[in-house]
Amino acid sequence: MKQKPRVAVFDFADCEGCELEIADLEEEILDLIEIVDIVSFREVMKEHSDNYDIAIIEGSVMRPMDEKRLRDIRSKAKILVALGACATIGGVNKIRNQWMHDEVLRTVYGEAPIHGNELFNVFKTKALNEVVPVDYYIHGCPIDRDEFKHVITALALGKKPEIPRYPVCVECKKNENICQFELGAYCLGPITRAGCKAICPTHNSPCEGCRGLIKKAETECVWEVLERYNLSYEDIRRRCTMYNYGKEECKVDE
Amino acid sequence: MSHIKTISKNDLNNFINKLIDDKTYEVVGVKSKGKRFVFGALENANELRLDHDVTIIPPKKYFFPQYERLMDFNLEKQFDVKPNKDMKPRIIIGIHPYDVIALEQMDKVYLDSQTDDFYKRRRENTILIASDIKNVSNRSFAASMNTNITDKGFDLLLTNIENKYAITIGSEKGKRLLEKYAKIEDAKEADIKKIDTARKKTLNKYKKKVNISKEDWPSILVDNYDSGVWEERSDKCIECSSCTMVCPTCYCYDIKDELSLNLKTGSRIRTWDGCLLRDFTKVGSGEVFREETKERYRHRFFRKGNYLPARYGFIACVGCGRCGIACLPDIADPSDVINSLSHHRISDDTTKFFIKQETKVAETNIIHVPRKATIKRIDNLTDAEKLFEIELDDKKPLGHKPGQFVEVSIFGIGEAPFGLASPPSDSFSFEIAVRKVGNVTSKLQEMSVGDKIGIRGPFGNGFDIKAMEGKNLLLTSGGIGMYPMRSLINYVLDKKNRKKFKQIIILYGAKRPKEILFLNEVEEWKKCDDTTCKLTVDRCEQGECWTGDIGLITTLFPKIRADKLDSKNTISVVIGPPIMYKFVIKCLQTLGIPDENIFVSLERRMKCGVGKCGHCQINGVYVCKEGPVFNFKDVKNLPEAFE
Repeated sequence: MKQKPRVAVFDFADCEGCELEIADLEEEILDLIEIVDIVSFREVMKEHSDNYDIAIIEGSVMRPMDEKRLRDIRSKAKILVALGACATIGGVNKIRNQWMHDEVLRTVYGEAPIHGNELFNVFKTKALNEVVPVDYYIHGCPIDRDEFKHVITALALGKKPEIPRYPVCVECKKNENICQFELGAYCLGPITRAGCKAICPTHNSPCEGCRGLIKKAETECVWEVLERYNLSYEDIRRRCTMYNYGKEECKVDE
Repeated sequence: MSHIKTISKNDLNNFINKLIDDKTYEVVGVKSKGKRFVFGALENANELRLDHDVTIIPPKKYFFPQYERLMDFNLEKQFDVKPNKDMKPRIIIGIHPYDVIALEQMDKVYLDSQTDDFYKRRRENTILIASDIKNVSNRSFAASMNTNITDKGFDLLLTNIENKYAITIGSEKGKRLLEKYAKIEDAKEADIKKIDTARKKTLNKYKKKVNISKEDWPSILVDNYDSGVWEERSDKCIECSSCTMVCPTCYCYDIKDELSLNLKTGSRIRTWDGCLLRDFTKVGSGEVFREETKERYRHRFFRKGNYLPARYGFIACVGCGRCGIACLPDIADPSDVINSLSHHRISDDTTKFFIKQETKVAETNIIHVPRKATIKRIDNLTDAEKLFEIELDDKKPLGHKPGQFVEVSIFGIGEAPFGLASPPSDSFSFEIAVRKVGNVTSKLQEMSVGDKIGIRGPFGNGFDIKAMEGKNLLLTSGGIGMYPMRSLINYVLDKKNRKKFKQIIILYGAKRPKEILFLNEVEEWKKCDDTTCKLTVDRCEQGECWTGDIGLITTLFPKIRADKLDSKNTISVVIGPPIMYKFVIKCLQTLGIPDENIFVSLERRMKCGVGKCGHCQINGVYVCKEGPVFNFKDVKNLPEAFE
């Protein structure tokens, strides 16, 4: 048998929830270590190696020191996979991009003596692909475990993972949900990439766009829909801010 | 009228509860979900709603599920595949007539000369208890489609007549079910009159109407192929494909392999696909054949109102109104579209976008389940291409014609179509050439002699060799168009066959010298009697060794002394990348070769190979069935053929 790919899992600015989804594979984690060698995964193990083929990275890039670390990982990894919304599109971390850094720091840390501390030296939040090339994406907040399995098995087989390029509506309709618009809600499902099995609308919560937008919210066809349902454009724009601030739409392969 | 019975409301409930308690069947029926309705498992008869207007998605899901395990495979063994046969008998209660008719239409598609075994098993194992419509969805136009009532297609049909139900028996199965589980009475004449009254009462509730009769849909669409309506409406389309997902007559699907995390086992999954989605027509090389939203939007209506009618004889819209409800910008409702076109003139030529062709579909196994085969030989053709000799393990010849194709399966990776590159022969083996473009081709290239793969086919129409006999042949290929062309060339140049044909001219263009395929064979072809073989490359980079012609394939035409060619007695075959056809065909026409003497082989996304999944359609034509080889005369007027 071919040598198993060596996998390292890293995190940047994030809640570690997507890593937790991997750790939460429970007994299947035994299958995972059967097909890949996990050489670094801070959340679940203390060993670490810099010798890896695949880097799976959660989190966004917030500071110059993150950028340096990410470039270093990229130089060591043959394949780089972005894990979860913070890494794939910037996610909730990008909400702060709408304000000045000083203002944000003052609001959060008040008068605490952070000046000059490198840890607090932040720039605009970036998704991984704004710093280094990303090979594959595992979208979502958090990720969908089945999709993680699909990507990791594909990579172990040397196959290109197939990530949907169609909107959440496709999966939502297959689940036979009542449309969120029909219920009077704002839903980003029609413009958000599927692959989550429409989990939010299926549990009666409108889509927040955590898997990235595949169509701009400011297209005429979206406006028409909002108008038809008496919803305002400003509100849907605000909804996009949750995960997609400053990002109009994702390229097809992201 | 003994086939009509009556049952009290109470006894109907008892009947249904008995069916549920008996546990022989899975009993499903219409239930409420918020303000809408869905088909779902019934726990007791009180859950059943026969006053529903329409369900969110049609009962199609019980015969052709959203996600369906077609087969399971075990990757620890070389080739181990088991078709999925699980299915408990099921009773579906509350299906409206339009959905019954939609299922009858689906039968024509899925139970035609190529039976879909998975669908068939579900169909046979299901009892349909239909229900007449009491409340009409405000988007339904079933009355305009004559699908608001039906007298067949069900096992039993319930009609609410005042304080009881009439039951129309539609089949022996239905009759036996009643005898075993229900307390019924023969309907009296007054009851039968009440059925009629109930239906008439419902008829008045339809708000939506189509202004023209459904028989005129095919012609009105033909006349409006280039209408501005498509663009005007599709400008508002958000491309969510909800219209196709909720449609009872949308049959298209995609197939994917899913693997367990240990890479040991997996399943081949079939799932609903929608022609409104951009990737629907995407092929391995990345090309998308219906790139614009307008084209995809129009395709849906043409498929329903023109292409399927030409093929199967029914309008594939039953007026349920689901798409009208589901479409957020409200552009999907067929009644609105047809009404907006209805003032246009009506043409006679309704089958213009369809080619009637007798094809024998050749799935010898259960549909979609491949036959086991072994890789016998692998030759390197170029840096990026390899030739595979494959033998079926059942030791039967493939029995193909030049121009046909097979579907190659690698479990865990997927399936892809390949044109056959070897001539027909009595041997058990055949050849395909493989360029690395997607997952299947990449994996195939990594495989070794002795490895097992799956084969389905041969599929499609090959070249009409009989029609070529006694004629000159002018065979033009570009790029990987040489793969299938080689099958034809080696057949006609075979000593056994050569004398059946007159002069043979072979023109072949490759991008660069290092991309020339089968160069050794090309040299052999040149030596054959009365055979001209010309080769050209588009360009030659520095450092590449090439002394032959440089230029596009069209530059070879002046070099073949075409003036001496008896063009009326020449059959021409063209196979190459999409861009090549337009230019080469122009050259052929300049030579005076009549259109009916020109044959082309077209590439699309042939996913199923048996005319079901919908991906390879060029207008109303399935490339996998009516093609991939076409007479140019037949396809030249198909707007989607040579875009």
